Amino acid sequence: MFITDTFATARRAIGVNRKRSMLTMLGVIIGVSSVVLMTAVGASMEVLILSQISSIGAQSMVVFPGQKEGVESTLAAGFDSLTFDDVEALERLTTITSVAPAIFVDIPTAVYGREKTQPRVIATTPPYFQNREMPVAVGRVLEERDIMRARHVVVLGSDIADDLFGLEDPVGKQVRLGDLQYTVVGVLEPVGTQFFQNADEFVFIPLTTGRAVTGQKHVNVITLQAVGDFDLAQADVESLLRQRHGIVNPEGDTDEDDFIVRTSQQANDILGAVSLGLTLFITTIAGISLVVGGIGIMNIMLVAVTERTREIGLRKAVGARGRDILLQFLFEAILLTLFAGIAGVVFGVGLAGLAALIVDKYLESYDFALSVPAIGLALAMAILTGLVFGIYPARQASKLSPMNALRYE
Amino acid sequence: MAKQNPPLIETVDLCKSYFNDGMETPVLFDIDLTIREGEFISIMGPSGSGKSTLMHILGFLDTPTSGSYLFRGQKTRVLHDDELARIRATRVSFVFQAFNLLPRTTVLDNVILPLLYHPTIPASERTERGMKAIEQVGLTERATYFTNQLSGGQQQRTAIARSLVTEPDVIFADEPTGNLDSASGIQVMEVLQNLHSKQGRTIVLVTHEKTTAEYAERVIHILDGRIATDTRDFKRNHAKNVKHLK
Ligand SMILES: Nc1ncnc2c1ncn2[C@@H]1O[C@H](COP(=O)(O)OP(=O)(O)OP(=O)(O)O)[C@@H](O)[C@H]1O
Ligand SMILES: [Mg+2]
Repeated sequence: MFITDTFATARRAIGVNRKRSMLTMLGVIIGVSSVVLMTAVGASMEVLILSQISSIGAQSMVVFPGQKEGVESTLAAGFDSLTFDDVEALERLTTITSVAPAIFVDIPTAVYGREKTQPRVIATTPPYFQNREMPVAVGRVLEERDIMRARHVVVLGSDIADDLFGLEDPVGKQVRLGDLQYTVVGVLEPVGTQFFQNADEFVFIPLTTGRAVTGQKHVNVITLQAVGDFDLAQADVESLLRQRHGIVNPEGDTDEDDFIVRTSQQANDILGAVSLGLTLFITTIAGISLVVGGIGIMNIMLVAVTERTREIGLRKAVGARGRDILLQFLFEAILLTLFAGIAGVVFGVGLAGLAALIVDKYLESYDFALSVPAIGLALAMAILTGLVFGIYPARQASKLSPMNALRYE
Repeated sequence: MAKQNPPLIETVDLCKSYFNDGMETPVLFDIDLTIREGEFISIMGPSGSGKSTLMHILGFLDTPTSGSYLFRGQKTRVLHDDELARIRATRVSFVFQAFNLLPRTTVLDNVILPLLYHPTIPASERTERGMKAIEQVGLTERATYFTNQLSGGQQQRTAIARSLVTEPDVIFADEPTGNLDSASGIQVMEVLQNLHSKQGRTIVLVTHEKTTAEYAERVIHILDGRIATDTRDFKRNHAKNVKHLK
């Protein structure tokens, strides 16, 4: 028997037993498409997280008050370990430049005419905008003279500007923040979300103005940049703050500190950990889907043998060798899983695209992304399961004697 | 005339037992049988006497428990699975009482099934040979029908065409008319009769019916797994007996 005959026979068997073939393929399609979908979601998440975390410049540092790096401490207001004296001391360091302290001012509403919105008010100094890479769209950002005179001026994030002014030009207009009127001097470019906070909902007032309003004596966050060697600068910042806060910490154990220094290096570490976690998670799901799909294939192939034992008996009675039967079943399994694998990829990509469309409505910077290696892997695995689970039943089938197979009921 | 031909099949002390869960069921005992090329033989006997069992062994669908089976002078006990498959593909063929056709498959595809496994007939000749076999059983117009669209007699004739297509040395037919009405049975038997008388094919037939057995020249009776009688020139003897009774 020629290999082309075996191939044709296998193909015909799939066509003749259409219902069973469809069931087998369904198992593979579900397996493969869930792998493709899950890995696509994972890839999109990775892109999203990358864009969030990498928004710290390579030379930038962000210092928070707080104990460990953790959800509860990162942005917790009310923790008062960082003072303005600390800021002045940092400014004197030669390895550091562009120091910008900031405080969060609790003003729940911004009002312009009849428009009203909820901003997050940050009081800070001019270098903040460079440190955070926030370019201006119209007007200007805060300047030194605004700080010196504690002027009532405000720079708006793009979403706030949209909410209050729509198509109007905000520059020069008066916005009421809490009880006081502020003059809009500029609007920032949209920057999207950073660390999963929408930075376009921020509004910025001069640090001095913010302090006057709140009377706050501690700093919520300090952004700064290293001059020259980054690690050296970070070490300087940490030892200075420890010294000033009376923390004895020669090992540099950050758990002992009452402040947190976040760097782009850390951000990359977090990114690495997150994407590794995602990869493991997705691989697990992919593995489970494939095993489930594979068991489906195996079951159907075993049922096929039972169902077709008489046919196998007949084929052997008219001269088929064990090998011919084996090959036929093997080809059948491969063909089925290959077809189904491709259908699964198409289906999975479609689902992932749909998911991206829906998620994008809620998570702004969520983009459609695919994991090409995962698709290749899913396809290869589908064919492999077809092979592995095809071989066992095919072997069983090929071992039967013609008469035993023919008598089978 | 057939007597001068070389023996195609020779069994000596052939025995067969089935084993189920360690329980032995002896079925055939010391079968000594010689079948020469060109013979047309009927095997008769009561139900359960071992006719099918003997046919399956002779047709290489099963193996004997002891004794020897020589096919064309060759001991079959020493043959490997692949060599047995080759004999099934080229030298013997089987017609079953239950037809055993592939469902949802055309007459032609059923008939050429053995050619898929034939070691020497090229793929390009399959359709032609298939159609020739179909013509011999008178089903040319039905060649593209699915087998489930055929009557029982037509299905059995399809099975016979399938057994012809490789031009085997011997055709075994186990109660080929058992599932058919008498008219279809006669049609099927005439096809077999023609194969024997016009082409000189060797045919071994199992049947319950005397009228069917009469197509053959030699009739073997099996009782409880043993050959009870072996009658040559059956038709003549039978005719004599009938005359005698008158
Ligand atoms: N697989 C088997 N296992 C055990 N016993 C079997 C098996 N096949 C057949 N037998 C037994 O062997 C004996 C002969 O069976 P066989 O089918 O050869 O009879 P037969 O002469 O063809 O009968 P029938 O005319 O009814 O077809 C029976 O008693 C049967 O029960
Ligand atoms: Mg029988």
